[in-house]
Amino acid sequence: MRAIRRILSLARQQWLWMTGGIALGFSAIAVNCILMAVSGWFIASMAIAGVAKSEFDYFFPAAAIRILAIFRTAGRYAERLVSHEATLRMLADLRVWLFKRLEPLAPAVLEKYAGGDVAGRLRSDVDSLENVYLRVVAPIVTGLLAIGAALLFVFYLDTVAALSLASVLFISAMVLPAVTGRLSRQPGEEAAELSGKLRNLATDGFQGAEELFLLGAAERQAAEVERVSEQLVAAQERLARISAWSLSANVLCAGGGGAAMLLAGGAAVRHGTLAPAALAMLVIFAAATFEAVGPMAGALQHLPAATANFDRLLELADSALPVADPPSPKALPASKEISIRDLRFAYQEGKKVLDGFHLELAQGERVALVGPSGCGKSTLVDVLLRFRDYQGSVCLGGVEVRDLAADELRREMAVLPQRPHLFNTTIRENILAGNREADAAQLERALEDAGLSNWVAGLPAGLDTPVGEGGGEVSGGEGRRIALARALIKDAPILILDEPTEGMDAATERLVVARLAERTAGKTVLIVTHRPACLPLADRVVRMPA
Amino acid sequence: MTERLNTAETTPEQWLKKECLALRPLLLQAAGFGAVAGFLIVLQARLLASGCHQVIMEKAPVARIVPLAAFAALTVLVRTIFTLFAERQAAAASASLKSRVRSRLYRRLQELGPAGTVGEEAAPLVETVTTAVDGLDGYISRFLPQMVLAAAIPLCMMLFVLGVEWRAALVLLFSAPFIPFFMILIGKGSEAIHRRQWEQLSRMAGYLLDLIQGLPDLRMFQAAKREASEVARVSAEYRHATMAVLRIAFLSALTLEFFSTMGTAIVAVVVGFRLLSGALPLVDGLFVLFIAPEFYLPLRNLGLSHHARMQSLTAAERIFRLLSLPDVSGYQGTSALPPGPPSIRFQSVTFRYGGNRGGITELDLDIPGGSITALAGESGAGKTTVARLLVGLSRPESGRITVNGADLADLSPRAWHASIAWVPQKPFFFKGTVRENLLLGCPSASEEEIQTALADASADFVERLPLGLETPLGGGGAGLSGGEQRRLALARAFLRQASLVVLDEPTAGLDAANEEMVGNALRRLAKGRTVLVISHREETLRLVQRVAVMTGGRLQGVMTAADFLDRVSLTEAV
Repeated sequence: MRAIRRILSLARQQWLWMTGGIALGFSAIAVNCILMAVSGWFIASMAIAGVAKSEFDYFFPAAAIRILAIFRTAGRYAERLVSHEATLRMLADLRVWLFKRLEPLAPAVLEKYAGGDVAGRLRSDVDSLENVYLRVVAPIVTGLLAIGAALLFVFYLDTVAALSLASVLFISAMVLPAVTGRLSRQPGEEAAELSGKLRNLATDGFQGAEELFLLGAAERQAAEVERVSEQLVAAQERLARISAWSLSANVLCAGGGGAAMLLAGGAAVRHGTLAPAALAMLVIFAAATFEAVGPMAGALQHLPAATANFDRLLELADSALPVADPPSPKALPASKEISIRDLRFAYQEGKKVLDGFHLELAQGERVALVGPSGCGKSTLVDVLLRFRDYQGSVCLGGVEVRDLAADELRREMAVLPQRPHLFNTTIRENILAGNREADAAQLERALEDAGLSNWVAGLPAGLDTPVGEGGGEVSGGEGRRIALARALIKDAPILILDEPTEGMDAATERLVVARLAERTAGKTVLIVTHRPACLPLADRVVRMPA
Repeated sequence: MTERLNTAETTPEQWLKKECLALRPLLLQAAGFGAVAGFLIVLQARLLASGCHQVIMEKAPVARIVPLAAFAALTVLVRTIFTLFAERQAAAASASLKSRVRSRLYRRLQELGPAGTVGEEAAPLVETVTTAVDGLDGYISRFLPQMVLAAAIPLCMMLFVLGVEWRAALVLLFSAPFIPFFMILIGKGSEAIHRRQWEQLSRMAGYLLDLIQGLPDLRMFQAAKREASEVARVSAEYRHATMAVLRIAFLSALTLEFFSTMGTAIVAVVVGFRLLSGALPLVDGLFVLFIAPEFYLPLRNLGLSHHARMQSLTAAERIFRLLSLPDVSGYQGTSALPPGPPSIRFQSVTFRYGGNRGGITELDLDIPGGSITALAGESGAGKTTVARLLVGLSRPESGRITVNGADLADLSPRAWHASIAWVPQKPFFFKGTVRENLLLGCPSASEEEIQTALADASADFVERLPLGLETPLGGGGAGLSGGEQRRLALARAFLRQASLVVLDEPTAGLDAANEEMVGNALRRLAKGRTVLVISHREETLRLVQRVAVMTGGRLQGVMTAADFLDRVSLTEAV
């Protein structure tokens, strides 16, 4: 329940749509009950008048029956539209909320979840939230309102009838959903978990298809997918069986209610406390009230699965921030000198990646950092970017970076990371991600300096060529140069380049190094590299210990 | 090989029907149980109407209606049991269908994937295998049984009503056909929109995944805030598109609602006037009124399941399209591999990718058995294409590739793959332990072999991991540095005991010390094996005997490593 309250409060801006859907849903049910009640009473009265050969003013009820039918039809349509609008608006709000929550968690927290699973979780969990309003909250609230109103009406006619109707409605609307909900909790959670597992397996299988094929391990992966799929389907079938039970039990309650109305109403007529014509009305009205109950039973059954999904989302979104901004950040210093003293960092307890690292970078100085792989070069870059917290001291212009606002700090830096991400859009958009305000000349220069001009000019679609998912449509070297152009176009005073010429052939490498030498003059530059060709870029080479 | 679908004479719905046909016993049971339950409603209505009649018209005491009420309750109980059975059989049919289709689809895609003919990104494929297959449920468990019930139950009920009051039966008869008619009319229009919405859903999935994977980059460039508003914009677009579908989709529900509510209302009025004229007993009048909403119910349920059908069909369409992709023109040969380290010859081999990726044209290349040959050239010169063709991931458009004189097309692909160790630029690691990932290529390797392979690949860092070989890796090798991933992939290649080793930039991302270690390992590995290495790095090239230089998809020349390095330093000097 706490999860649902949280969802509703996250989407509270849509309260008007949400209450609108519920109000319309209530009216549609109420109008139908009234329609059936009037019809039953009308028929019985007409029959009594027919036998007694007396007059009966049929004009008003006959007209009312037809008008109610029209109201009912229009009300249902409006209710469907409004409740779906409410749901989609809620979903949009929740997606944005989640994206904003995930942002500060990247990469330190996010990388602990499997790549395929984060996206799978996000999409399927957020979308399954559409059940929360449409199939849980709305039917329950609508149902409770409708049942309350119906019972009041029957109570006014006859107490015994009201009590018996109340008890079948109670079983049908409260007991059954509770039992169903309890029964489906475990298979529901299992299905959600298996679904995520299946998604991971399939993602692995497709992304690694080539190697699995050559390693002869494709069959193994397929068998694993089949095994998890069987389990998922079995869990889904168990859920369907539970829902079959609940559906059938509702048939029993509604039918039993009809028989009970006949007996209670018959006795009341006999005692003269109920008009004979009202018996027909009572029996048919009771049957109509069950319209409110059907969705309610389904509603509580959706609850466990939806709660499991949302709990997973909350677990991810509520993860502690890997790096917190200071409460009152200091002003950004004018000097771009970087001073690292006794820097220590460990991913896991007892396995230090950086242990007492020192580095001084004067303003405008260009330093190349070399060292064996795994010695913490990329970690150092992450620390400078404030993606990870650290022990020891890292100062920019004499100010400890943990006292600065991280976003302001990053504004001062342009970075080519070790593994840049290419977005599934055009080359142009990928480069402009570095600087949205860049004009055509700046773009041209970045292309030129990253050694991309000739290649781009040779593409039929030029800068508008899509790079594909994860840059799959361009080669590794081309992707790296696109990311380099993205860093260059930002034109920040501090430049951090992790292997800027990786994957380039000798000719391109020479061109890029020459361009970079020009481009980086006057900036504070840190180049992580192990390529001798890059070393002339630097004023000084620092070797990192293993 | 999973068999390909014959698309010429089938549509996605025909395919789905055929799949369901195999489950006919379960589906017939579901419909049969449902029909019996429907008939029992008639009995129940008659009993209640009779009870009301006796109380209202004959002033009967309660004792006289108790047996009627009890009989009605018993009818309901039997109806309940039949409903339960019907639902369970439908669920069983759905489960069986989903399992079968998913298994077939996944195997098919995995088969097509390596050849690159699927031409799709992973995310939509994963969506199809998971969500789309689940989406078939509505068709089999709801639409098909409801279709039978919608034909049988109203007809049966109308005959009963005809027996007591033909005017009411006429109202039912005339209102009912409008329901399927309008439903189909409106359904046709919304089907197209529904398809568009699925595409949008898929794009939405890929879009969010892309942004989240690129979050670190977005943060580096202060672009995350802007993208958050993009998420809002794309979600709003999605909402508009979905609502456009729903406005039309709900019209068919509106039609149903209108005809069934109006039909019931008119039946009530017609019956009322017949009762007033004294021509009809109350029991018959009430019976007709009780039956009227139940008459429309199967039609309404069919209307509801019509949406389930459309959703299933859009899913089926995606599945069907993938299942009916043309077969990969993969190798089908059966000959055994000629013994000895393979000596390979490319004879005027041409292969082009679609779009702006390169390829190779009329390539002639010799890779002598037992040699270490390097492929060098600018990025996009076709080096990776040569490697893909060699290991058999792609097949040449023209020309042929021979292994020890035998055409690659004649060799058994299984035997050929078993003799290859391939280390691509981005090695694949699944979510599992280091050991599981190492054993991917040869599950039967002994502990000693693993240790040797790790040592050979300079992957001794594994020992220093907190859990050693049992250390869990995230998907994509998360938890290891780029260099560590490379060395682990090399260890996997060592374990393969292959006679041909293909390495794509094996030392990229390694520092000088590691590069040397890997170089030594490569030298050890090369003994008695043929090695093809894609690289333009001096340290690696010093290991090789021959360098094949490529430009623009063609072979520029083959030279000794010394000549090649001289030439490079010469151009550098110039």
